[in-house]
Amino acid sequence: MRIFGIESSCDETAMALVVGEGERLTVEKSLVASQMELHKKYGGVVPEVAARKHVETIIPMLREIVPRDGAEIDAIAVTYGPGLVPALRVGVELARTLSLLWNKPLVEVNHLEGHIYSNWLSGTAATFPALVLIVSGGHTEIVHMKKHGVYTLIGETRDDASGEAFDKVAKILGLGYPGGPIVSKMALEGDATRFDLPRPMLEAKNFDFSFSGLKTAVLYSWNGLSKRERARKQTVKDMAAGFQEAVVGVLVGKMTKAIEQTKPKAVMIAGGVAANAALRNKLGEVLKKQFPTITYIVPELKYTGDNAAMIAAAGYFRAVQKDFVDPSNVQADPNLRLASF
Amino acid sequence: MYKLTRIFALPVFSMQKNYTTYSPEETKAVAAELASFLKGGEEIALVGDLGAGKTTFVQGLAQALGSQAKVKSPTFTLMNIYPVVHPTIKQIAHLDYYRLQETGASDLGLDEYKTPDTVIVSEWPIDVAPGKNKLFVQLTGGKNPNERSITIER
Repeated sequence: MRIFGIESSCDETAMALVVGEGERLTVEKSLVASQMELHKKYGGVVPEVAARKHVETIIPMLREIVPRDGAEIDAIAVTYGPGLVPALRVGVELARTLSLLWNKPLVEVNHLEGHIYSNWLSGTAATFPALVLIVSGGHTEIVHMKKHGVYTLIGETRDDASGEAFDKVAKILGLGYPGGPIVSKMALEGDATRFDLPRPMLEAKNFDFSFSGLKTAVLYSWNGLSKRERARKQTVKDMAAGFQEAVVGVLVGKMTKAIEQTKPKAVMIAGGVAANAALRNKLGEVLKKQFPTITYIVPELKYTGDNAAMIAAAGYFRAVQKDFVDPSNVQADPNLRLASF
Repeated sequence: MYKLTRIFALPVFSMQKNYTTYSPEETKAVAAELASFLKGGEEIALVGDLGAGKTTFVQGLAQALGSQAKVKSPTFTLMNIYPVVHPTIKQIAHLDYYRLQETGASDLGLDEYKTPDTVIVSEWPIDVAPGKNKLFVQLTGGKNPNERSITIER
């Protein structure tokens, strides 16, 4: 079954073709606008959030990814939330139109569900129940997955998402945007023990997170240093290392407790921060040591950020279950939730 | 597009109140006091540096208006909506222009939320000019990590 995936929920316009066979998925094509020549002129630093940018991108991208009649496609999958309504609408309207025009069934996909399914593009077979840590610029959640399409939210951030914390700490340390890659690079050569930073909510008896206070702790710790000290490269590296260790410590600590409680057969991570090597490694170490029978799955780096291959992947499993929607009823839902407590 | 730095050249707000708080709870209490004056249709420009307590302030505002929603930073999502329980206010639209300083937000359709039953709270606002139904809240961190100065103008 060949699925055409469309994603336009926030900054990225993306389209992909994914072929599914049983539990096995193959990505035939995956295009993300910011990686295309078309968008290079905008530099990639400024978020391409404007709906106008999505509109400008979809037609050239559509032409590049599928022949005009869409004959070889079996179903269309589109992100319908959460996200920005004007941005979401561009993808949703395209999907509805193509569904009617090509007479192909339509599947709606939750953006976060898409992130989860980036793990199905890694080549490692998943088993259920699975526990997924979604970590990105806009989200930080622990989701329990009983089977395909059945989710329970176990915990979530109460303020800043983990990826946002990386960006804002990068800003405090004068490292620029995006913050994730540069902070983790700096952290490699830093002494994580030099600055005493909090591990917010690690001891709380729930699976929620809070990263706003950690960011503020970095700010005050940083502002408490002399100008000369702040100008030293090693100080920046030490602060980056201390911060990253605090974030990873909380994420892995909460996941460990969630694993103990829910006893999953597979553990996965997803979202932009899933590209962070310290997080991938630390969670892997804990699993190996404490839960050696659990399958650990991490997505390929290219599918950690927003993309449409993950939307097509999630759409495939919905299409297999014939979970199709009437194109005239699909609407962008900015506040769409994946699951409730 | 207005740059934040232009505020000093613009006409001043007609009323000003100053507070100093020493904990997130006290910051929320100031937000709750402001909430008690809201009727819907207000646009609140929320200004303050990283870590100044803007999210805390919005949490206090939402709680005071009877919202059960988890108030999260909209830096990446750009906008969060919190339904509230209030006679004349239906929801809070929590906006964040942190990532939009260069591009502006004219294409985002955010004007859709300028309705009489919505309170708009904007972090890192681009347009902070005074006007009807416009409020300006500034949070500043002190030397003590828990101390915050809060200025509310309207």
